[in-house]
Amino acid sequence: MQKEAVIREPLILGHKSYHDVTEDVCRPIEDKAPRMWYILFGIALIIGLYGVGCILYLLGTGIGVWGLNKTIGWAWDITNFVWWVGIGHAGTLISAVLLLFRQKWRMAINRSAEAMTIFAVFMAGLFPLIHMGRLWVGYWVLPLPNQFGSLWVNFNSPLLWDVFAISTYLSVSLVFWYIGLIPDFATIRDRAKKPVAKKMYSILSFGWSGRAKHWNRFETVSLVLAGLATPLVFSVHSIVSFDFATSVIPGWHTTIFPPYFVCGAVFSGFAMVQTLLLVMRKAMGLEAYIHTKHVEYMNIVIMVTGSIVGTAYITELFISWYSGVEYEAYAFLNRATGPYWWAYWSMMTCNVISPQLMWIRKLRRSLMFTFFISIVVNIGMWFERYVIIVTSIHRDYVPAAWSMHYPSHIDIGVYIGTIGLFFVFFLLFARYFPVLALNEVKTILKGSGQSYKESPDYHKHH
Amino acid sequence: MTRKYWKGLEELKETPEFIKQRENEFPSQVSVEEFLSDDKLNETSTARRDFLKFLGFSVAAASLAACEAPVTRAVPYVIKPENVTLGMPTWYASTYYDGSSYTSILVKTREGRPIFIKGNKDFGITKGGVNPQIIASVLGLYDSERLKNASIGGVDVTQSKLDAAVISALKSAKKVTLISNTVISPSMNRAIGTMAADLNVNGATKFEHITYDAVSYSAMREANLQNFGAAILPSYDFSKAKSIVSIGADFLSTWLMATEYAAQYGSRRNPEKEAEGEWMSKHFQFESNMSISGSNADYRGMIKPSEQAAVLSYFIKGLGGACAIAATVPASAEKAAKEALSSLKKNKKNALVVCGSNNVGLQLLTNQLNSLLGSYGTTIDLNNDLKLFQGDDKKVQAFANQVIAGKGSDMIIFMGVNPVYTLPNGAAFGKALKGVKTTLSLSAYADETTTLCSHASPDHHALESWNDFQVKPSHYAVAQPTIRPLHDTTSALESILVWNGKASRAGKDSNVAYDYIKETYATLFPSGDFAYTTHNSCENITVAAAAALTYKSAPITNLPKSGALEVILYQKAAIGTGAQANNPWLQEMPDPITKATWDNYITMNPVEMEKLGYVTTYDQEHGLDLATVTVNGLSVTLPVYPLPGQAINTIGIALGYGRGANGEKIGKAAFQTKEYGGYEVGENGLHVPIGANVFAFASSNFELEAVGTIKKVDGTYKIAATQIHHTVMGRHSIVRETTLDTFLAKDKEAYNPAHTLQKLNKEGHHEERPVSEFDLWDAHPVEKIGHRWGMTIDLSSCIGCGSCLVACQSENNVPVVGKDEVRRGREMHWLRIDRYFASDEEAAVGQRKDKETFSYSKAELAAENPKVVHMPLMCHHCNHAPCETVCPVAATTHSNEGLNQMTYNRCIGTRYCANNCPYKVRRFNWFNYPSYKKFTEVNPAQDDLGRMVLNPDVTVRTRGVMEKCSFCVQRIQSTKLVAKKEARTIIDGELATACSDACPTNAIIVGDWNDSKSSVFASSNSKRAYQALEEVGVKPNVWYKVKVRNEVNELLSSIQVVKEAPHHEKKKGQH
Repeated sequence: MQKEAVIREPLILGHKSYHDVTEDVCRPIEDKAPRMWYILFGIALIIGLYGVGCILYLLGTGIGVWGLNKTIGWAWDITNFVWWVGIGHAGTLISAVLLLFRQKWRMAINRSAEAMTIFAVFMAGLFPLIHMGRLWVGYWVLPLPNQFGSLWVNFNSPLLWDVFAISTYLSVSLVFWYIGLIPDFATIRDRAKKPVAKKMYSILSFGWSGRAKHWNRFETVSLVLAGLATPLVFSVHSIVSFDFATSVIPGWHTTIFPPYFVCGAVFSGFAMVQTLLLVMRKAMGLEAYIHTKHVEYMNIVIMVTGSIVGTAYITELFISWYSGVEYEAYAFLNRATGPYWWAYWSMMTCNVISPQLMWIRKLRRSLMFTFFISIVVNIGMWFERYVIIVTSIHRDYVPAAWSMHYPSHIDIGVYIGTIGLFFVFFLLFARYFPVLALNEVKTILKGSGQSYKESPDYHKHH
Repeated sequence: MTRKYWKGLEELKETPEFIKQRENEFPSQVSVEEFLSDDKLNETSTARRDFLKFLGFSVAAASLAACEAPVTRAVPYVIKPENVTLGMPTWYASTYYDGSSYTSILVKTREGRPIFIKGNKDFGITKGGVNPQIIASVLGLYDSERLKNASIGGVDVTQSKLDAAVISALKSAKKVTLISNTVISPSMNRAIGTMAADLNVNGATKFEHITYDAVSYSAMREANLQNFGAAILPSYDFSKAKSIVSIGADFLSTWLMATEYAAQYGSRRNPEKEAEGEWMSKHFQFESNMSISGSNADYRGMIKPSEQAAVLSYFIKGLGGACAIAATVPASAEKAAKEALSSLKKNKKNALVVCGSNNVGLQLLTNQLNSLLGSYGTTIDLNNDLKLFQGDDKKVQAFANQVIAGKGSDMIIFMGVNPVYTLPNGAAFGKALKGVKTTLSLSAYADETTTLCSHASPDHHALESWNDFQVKPSHYAVAQPTIRPLHDTTSALESILVWNGKASRAGKDSNVAYDYIKETYATLFPSGDFAYTTHNSCENITVAAAAALTYKSAPITNLPKSGALEVILYQKAAIGTGAQANNPWLQEMPDPITKATWDNYITMNPVEMEKLGYVTTYDQEHGLDLATVTVNGLSVTLPVYPLPGQAINTIGIALGYGRGANGEKIGKAAFQTKEYGGYEVGENGLHVPIGANVFAFASSNFELEAVGTIKKVDGTYKIAATQIHHTVMGRHSIVRETTLDTFLAKDKEAYNPAHTLQKLNKEGHHEERPVSEFDLWDAHPVEKIGHRWGMTIDLSSCIGCGSCLVACQSENNVPVVGKDEVRRGREMHWLRIDRYFASDEEAAVGQRKDKETFSYSKAELAAENPKVVHMPLMCHHCNHAPCETVCPVAATTHSNEGLNQMTYNRCIGTRYCANNCPYKVRRFNWFNYPSYKKFTEVNPAQDDLGRMVLNPDVTVRTRGVMEKCSFCVQRIQSTKLVAKKEARTIIDGELATACSDACPTNAIIVGDWNDSKSSVFASSNSKRAYQALEEVGVKPNVWYKVKVRNEVNELLSSIQVVKEAPHHEKKKGQH
């Protein structure tokens, strides 16, 4: 009897035919949405609208409705901004970097991870806009020709670099995501029966016909965009970190920030992907496509980046002492033992200790545990940004100006609101878009030979 | 079926006229020639010229209405008034006197509006001495709640009607009492004198004049009467005192004529003088509360009010005098007392002892001590006595008791006083006023007393009226109006004259007071030129040397009682006795010591608070514990504020709060406001006043020390303070302090070392080089080219009075944000005064005792009786400004004169600049302060009248933009323009910023740093000059000068030594 060793765990479980894949992905779009979807969408919409209300109140009244003060000019606004941008890192990393590295397991998750990225970057982009005292003249950050005595932007300012970095990242991610969606939209179009849906999906699919030439171009464009997007994965958060690293504030002025921020971003992004996918695979019956193996791979990424982040935290502490700079030393002492010690230790617990548990195989393959840790990591990463921003400026150089930050209910409302809006977008995505890159997934489907091998007929003959 | 509609009956009836008219499309065909040739045209009401005017107006109105911001009240000058040039300020020399403070001032007017007040440094005896209340008083002029006209029984009447009523009341009254604050006006005294002479029944006058001061100095006069035979207040000269001992007298802020003393004191606090063969005074303060004077003292002892006598006795006995009182000095003042005694012994007649108590016994002891020292004739001048505070406590109390008993005069005139609020038995007095037939108030507000009066004839604001003053026999001063009266008020002097039949009203442009003052002037200066005196605001009078008063001892009785808890009632620099409690600038001015705004509270030493279980820290959300203080059966509940330096077993409470408690309309800003705007309304349906009135705690002889009890009650109260961290955490590059001996004997390196970094030298060795040699950036081209504006602030001279802060607010249209916003850390002051207490970890403020064992957590706590440093801080105009690089839209940029400029129009409000400012001096417009409802009650810019105080040279900022100190760029520009027009360069000292202008001790020097002969350049190169946070490398244009205390501090001296050269330097030869 012939023995065959299983080299790798299969990426798609069970005996799925090409048609099964199409069916599995298109079913949620074609069927009536389940009750649960409406409930979740309703909740997200209400929270999102509350957030919109808070933003409108903020715009109508002034930044004073937040809990900022003369010493603390940024707090939840920029914390949320960096948090969302960080979350928005996983998608492009998965689709671009893993594409270049030919990691096939990415195919099951890249579509929704990218969608998450785009929605997260939307949410992130909102904060730099609304944190401006005068949003209505916010377009001045763009280097537009003008008649204000030909006023130009200040290219020295990291905030300006942010504008470029975020907008580039958003547009490239959006294009990359959309290109991937085209063949899948065509599949849905071809199956659609209702005229409106058919019309909509045919517009969205840009007249894709599935010819070999189309596929050829599709592959080329994907590769080019992956090449373009890869540096962006690293540049965006590096530039966000420059907001702090180029300043003179102890605790911000840190050369370690760019790599530390990028790792932190990947760390939190993967955690968010886990949070979303673990729910989605269950709700949409995609267990065969997204399973323990995928979760384990992602957990390893979380473990590695979490360790890097932890190392960065400890390096910062060491440098603050080793530098001998009074203010630097105090800034870090104050983080750990000052009035915001609880934020610091929440961050340390969530970000340094929890990913280390992933060394245990049993835990990193446990879906429940992964879900729990993914939430813990994102709480930890929110605190990381809060610690960096608020605990550094609340006690910087001049003790007479030292202050404390207390969030107002508008601070909280805007933050919760963005989470609501994010889920509004994501739920709409899950309802109307193919959540799996179905045409790509088909490429990793085991061949019919494998199916035959595992079929009863095969055993009969041997 | 069609319906037909008629235009009128004519059409229905088809009258011939109608048919005729229907034919013509245009009803009347009158040609232009025909129309114009009509003879009757001229008889119509609309003349051709009028028509053109209407036409022109309509076009103008239409185009104006089309503009975004229509000019609604523009009054053009058809004929240019003399001295008024649009856009150019006109300055008037005048004199300020409000019953407690006196000073020579200069008033800046723009387009006829007074907008800024500063001390007059050229004329008068106060040499530019001011306090925050004087500077802020300009805002009171534009208070919309000032009384606008006369009233009888609360109903507005014309002035003539009131005059008639008053004249008849004066006639019919059996006895008339005029109760006023101290009148130092020779003209007013003359007018009152004539009234006293004229109002008589059968030769005996039925008129009495009682002088009443809210805070009394009667005991000093009484003591001088007993010791010298004259009930006078002497003149003190702090500039002649080498040794100053103050027993509870806050002579730099509120005590007697502090405006004069602050400048005198400041002139002797410059340690460079000592090096030049002059001398620096040595200041000892013994007090219960931490006062401004105490915070500046070289030595400060904490004593209870009841221990003041013992301290005085200790000195008397130490100097060989006889004293029956035990000389037991408490341990908390022992060191200071010992040093003070040896200093007094050394300086003898060049010493000065002052005592702030209104207790006759203590003042007698003080006199005995001064006479032992021989200070009379050197630092104390009995000849040229001070005319302030002439109130006689006994007379006032007798009068009040009579009124309360219903046996007093049947007509009372109140002038410049508010006894219902300030009398210890004010409430009873107020109740009794109803029983008095005629009560007349001359107050400018419907205050506590006025609302209970039957008649009100509001006085002008000081800036609207003529006045004259003689604060000392040697000095005559004039106050001139700087604006035509805004309302239908009348000058008090004119009123007295009119009511006595000596003059008649002449409306707003009345010359009555002016002529009367001129008459007085003519008697004082028979050959004087009144116009010249008015121009300078004052004139000196030679006082004939009187026979020297000789000291004779007097028995000492009734010294302050001791108790388990002694309560001290004090005046805050901003609020004083509460006369200007409605002034939002003053309410929002952080108290120089506690840094709290908009409230009064109980001050207690945190060491004691820990023991008694009170919380000792506070911030935006964490309030302070409430406690009830009971004195003489009266109780007040207030938060307990942790104030280091408060003597143990004593508490302090500020006077001047709790105004308008019965809903009196004393001003918009005098009440507590809510988080989203509007007033806080109490259970009684009235507006909740700010703080609580504690005048009732004063004893019946007006002593401000009392014995009471304190009991913690449930609940906390949030305090709005601008500073919640009180120590400098041993940061030597922010505050530097040294002793006079170290300064004189040692190198700069010992007490003011430059920051160094290691640099590789040519041989490849590390070398310590000053921070100034390191640079990441290209230098701005400001050095040695054109102007470069710089400033030095002398921490030794700065007394922390807060005048600069209010002057800056006044000059730069800084919005008032109210208590709730200050509590949230959002006050808008461009200039703040950081106040640091030394901790037990520091040998002096900012100097760590031991670098190895230094503990941050211990350094957060102030010492029990800490040393204090006041540090004014504004934008440092860094040449490598961190704010400039981070602004994405280049809204903050560097000028080629070294200024860090803020372009409001360009600002999009990212606040990145504020975060990146190491000094944290940038202020963000969190709301639209000139219009948002939260600030209606507090921000004067939201009031049509209040807006008049705005400086037209400075933009009012909108919401969402950043602002900060501009170095008064508008003043720089105008100074440059003046120089340019005169074809010359700017003269050193010509430019003054609002803060340097206001500083009574000349601690702030501004000028052109590129001018190597300028005083700012010299000052910045002094041994004491340093740049705060120099090592950050931002290269500021502001220098501080090391605070020098004239004390012996062995620990500090042992730390501040010149460090040995680094070892590799020494080993150089071996390489």
